[in-house]
Amino acid sequence: MVMKKRLAGFVLILLLMFPLSVYSGVPLETVKGQITRVLDILRDPALRGEAQRKIKDEKLSAISEEMFDFTELSKRSLGQSWNKMTPEQQKEFVKLYKSLLKKVYADKITSYTEEKIIFKRENTLSEKTVEIETAILTKTSEVDINYRVIEKGGYWKVYDVVIEGVSLISNYRAQFREILANQTPEALLETLRKRVGKGQPS
Amino acid sequence: MLFALFLLNPSRAFAIAPSMEPHALPAQEEEGTLTTASDSLRNEESLFVIAEQRGPDREEPVKERSGEENDLTEESAAEEAPRIADPLRPWNKTMYHFNDKFYFWVLKPVTQVYKYVALEPLRIMCNNFFDNLRAPGRFVNNLLQWKTKAAGNEFVRFAFNSTAGLGGLADAAKELLHIQKSPADFGQTLGRYGIGQGFYLVWPILGPSSPRDTVGMVGDYFLYPLSYIDISFVYSAGIYGLETVNKTSFRIGDYEALKEAAIDPYVSLRNAYFQNRKKEVGNNNK
Repeated sequence: MVMKKRLAGFVLILLLMFPLSVYSGVPLETVKGQITRVLDILRDPALRGEAQRKIKDEKLSAISEEMFDFTELSKRSLGQSWNKMTPEQQKEFVKLYKSLLKKVYADKITSYTEEKIIFKRENTLSEKTVEIETAILTKTSEVDINYRVIEKGGYWKVYDVVIEGVSLISNYRAQFREILANQTPEALLETLRKRVGKGQPS
Repeated sequence: MLFALFLLNPSRAFAIAPSMEPHALPAQEEEGTLTTASDSLRNEESLFVIAEQRGPDREEPVKERSGEENDLTEESAAEEAPRIADPLRPWNKTMYHFNDKFYFWVLKPVTQVYKYVALEPLRIMCNNFFDNLRAPGRFVNNLLQWKTKAAGNEFVRFAFNSTAGLGGLADAAKELLHIQKSPADFGQTLGRYGIGQGFYLVWPILGPSSPRDTVGMVGDYFLYPLSYIDISFVYSAGIYGLETVNKTSFRIGDYEALKEAAIDPYVSLRNAYFQNRKKEVGNNNK
């Protein structure tokens, strides 16, 4: 009995020594779980129709907050330019960028329930980043979608989505770079404000 | 997955060339042209590396500022690349506006009518049929890229689908033999041989391309069986039109979403094109 207890204690200590994040498979399972939840919401018959739209959007928004690291996403989308912004500008940028992404993709994603998703594998990119390969099977083709996740405080969060080789942050970075080549960060923020549709002054 | 569907195939999709909202970025339009020259100069070194690059191995010359905010590692620095040379920007931009209008005024309405008339099973059959005709091209290109297994698969697929698949109407090889398609095109083959994209080049109706991929398109034309059928221009244009409309019928909304998501759709599309092609060229080790 005592032995058993000791063994259990030993195992517990061992487990504690290795935080959950090191176990391979965790990033994939994390993303898989989140996507499954998104699909469940999209397929939920009780949430069909315009009347339920708001509840549905709120639920999806909650998952996206949990799933994505919007600060990391913003930082990487700006590249070098991130450092040229003041902390206030950075903060506002994250906020605006997040609303833009949510706004743009909320409509798209809701029409999107029938396709089958397969989770292929995960590739280690660096010590703290992992890429999860997935594919969506549509009626006529297979679309490769990779999620890049970063480990922060034991949680894996998505900081980039790569669709058919096209990285989201890299694509936005090309756009931001062109804007920032001629304009100030403030002008970029103004463009984003207009785009998001809340012309709040800073 | 969120914004998955609309990038389905930026390179192949017809008429992908959105228009920049003229009111959205008024100041950019002019100044953008000014930077083009210096931009392309700056990018000169990258001119021929866009395609060959296989991994995140490109170095960013600019040093990061220090600071705790800075965990932009080499990995993300590599994502800075590829910067794309765009010396023909005025032409490209014009073509992009043209293609955008072409999509919204011609291709999309026609496709919507077609989609309404033709039931989905029929459209899938049509898709399979044209896809099967592209198999010889895939076979040859896989072979040229030394992807012998993929080439073999394409050979079997073509033989099986043309017969058991009733002339290609059914993808029997996929359903029954579980042999998947192995995409390969001539532009990709050239890239595989180390030939870079060169620069960005937008064609009317055909959409985003580059000198290399233009040569690729010509090569693929000669690998397409229908190119050898002796019919009048009107008929062959009709056949190409049908193929395109049918393909587009599975993708309505993708282009719109891409455009909607972009802050500068022209830059977004250009970047997406090169990223996508880079992946297709680099993907050959599988």
